[in-house]
Amino acid sequence: MSERAYRQRLEADIARWQADGVITSSTADAIRGALKPVPDGVTIATVVAIVGGLLIAAAFLAFIAANWTAIARPARFAILLAAIAGAYGIGAWFDRSRRPYLADLAAGVGSIVFGAAIALTGQMYHLGEDFAGGMLLFAAGALVAAVLTSSRGALAVALVAACFWSGMRVFELADVHLPFVGFWLIAALLAVAWNAPVARHLVALAAVAWLIQSGFGLDRSHYAEPVFAITAGFSLLLGAGLAFASRGAASLRAFGLVLSHYGAFALALTLAALIAFASGAPRASLPAPVIACGIAGAILSFVASLMERRVGPALAGLSIGFALLVVSGRLRSSGIDEPWLLYAVALASMLCLVISGMLDEVRPRVVAGWIGLACVIAAITWSVRGSLLPRAAFLAASGGVVVVLASLLGRPLRQERPQ
Amino acid sequence: MMRLVQIFGRIPRVLLFAAAALIQVALIAVMVVDHARILREGAEVTLQTRPVDPRDFLRGDYVVLSYDISSVPAGTLKDTPSSGKSIYVKLAPKAGGFYEVVSVHAEPVAVGSDEVLIHGRVTSGNTCGTQSRSYCERLQISYGIERYFVPEGEGREIESARNEGKVAIVAAVTASGRAAIKRLLIDGKPAYDEPMF
Repeated sequence: MSERAYRQRLEADIARWQADGVITSSTADAIRGALKPVPDGVTIATVVAIVGGLLIAAAFLAFIAANWTAIARPARFAILLAAIAGAYGIGAWFDRSRRPYLADLAAGVGSIVFGAAIALTGQMYHLGEDFAGGMLLFAAGALVAAVLTSSRGALAVALVAACFWSGMRVFELADVHLPFVGFWLIAALLAVAWNAPVARHLVALAAVAWLIQSGFGLDRSHYAEPVFAITAGFSLLLGAGLAFASRGAASLRAFGLVLSHYGAFALALTLAALIAFASGAPRASLPAPVIACGIAGAILSFVASLMERRVGPALAGLSIGFALLVVSGRLRSSGIDEPWLLYAVALASMLCLVISGMLDEVRPRVVAGWIGLACVIAAITWSVRGSLLPRAAFLAASGGVVVVLASLLGRPLRQERPQ
Repeated sequence: MMRLVQIFGRIPRVLLFAAAALIQVALIAVMVVDHARILREGAEVTLQTRPVDPRDFLRGDYVVLSYDISSVPAGTLKDTPSSGKSIYVKLAPKAGGFYEVVSVHAEPVAVGSDEVLIHGRVTSGNTCGTQSRSYCERLQISYGIERYFVPEGEGREIESARNEGKVAIVAAVTASGRAAIKRLLIDGKPAYDEPMF
């Protein structure tokens, strides 16, 4: 929840509590006084100014492009460098005049201009065709800008460029691109140091992108079954996120929680995709390091559960375990029989995720679990061969089991509830 | 880490913005200076271009160049494990002054007085074998000199000349194997000379 939305909700609650006589007006004033002032948001004037600035920048670029070949090479080079310096100069001016959003935007634009300058310098000087190397330079420069100026925009540019760099290297090497991990860790440290929601989401998104790319790399290298490897990676993301969220500074916990959200969503969608589209035994082996990643995710979830003394993370660990079992291919039937056990374990995995989120009161994990359940049920129906009747029977039986489970769970909860 | 954040907090923000701009400008400048260094220090190597597949024809305002040394037999590397894309090709001058392939190596090797070692990246031919991790019989190699940007409208002419086998380039190759195009020759005469800056 954003700070502004939280304040609006708190103000509504305070007014209601006052009206109900729960708190006095002095207590309400004390609560309001304990809060820091709400930071200025992006105003309409700022948005209009941003659009104006972008239009002027586009006009400038179009003008330069129209006369590009007529301009001498050293002059072209100087224009590129001046554009970078200009963007950061404007950023510093906005920062000085206490307009942080515009300063952030200027640093982000500066990083984009830096990327364009790399491409144009490469063109002017006939530099080599190592696009991935160019992307690494782009990403590194933008990351340095992000570190120095605390610009979320520059961090976004850096992570996008780094994902392209990693993707190109995966395509070239037909393997997992491990150097990206070092880059990602620096970005993760920044997200924790800034304690900024945008940065947390960007870093988590980059992790998901890299894991998917790694799956493609492993597929091309025939080293490991790609779907299992991706699932193991998402499991590690979920488990490590829960472990980070269980202990440490508030910023680290918040970062861990966001990682776990992305891990949960990615795990749920991968599981559904596997049931809908993949059939038969795994095409490649399941090497020990990949299996270890998945198991580590489950173990970290259980560790988080022990550290927090909560059942929620343990259920997330159980969900991971079930998901890994599904994608391992061990539950697939060899003949023409439907893999009913596989379907049941997939449903159990997503049900564990929903309950885990509910116990921890973490809405994104609950939503991920529900989406996973819906997608798995849809996938079971989608992947039908022949009559739908056996599936109807399977879904009815599964529903019955879950209702019985709900009834069993409900009894102790009713007993615990105060009369 | 929080201590590092505090230290950053004490530095005036204007300086931090200036430092970000300066570092990015420096990185771009390093690209150009490095290119100039290759041109200045590299040994001159003349390479014959070859016709390019029509699908790779002129894109925008640059000419796609392919060389006789772009497709080479793997030689002793065939069926050996390919650890990556990096490759070294030993060249020596042959008839007409054009440099041709002597041998291919996964690591840098010593060269004779008239030989040159050029570094490239394998674009195709390193995914053979049961695990797709061995060198094939033939390797496609990119040396980072496969594009030459030309003034608008001049690409077609060079492209036609290239397909008739009239285009050659003079590349500068450093001792570490890095290459840059120094001169473009059409019919043996310099058509474009690459300035240092």
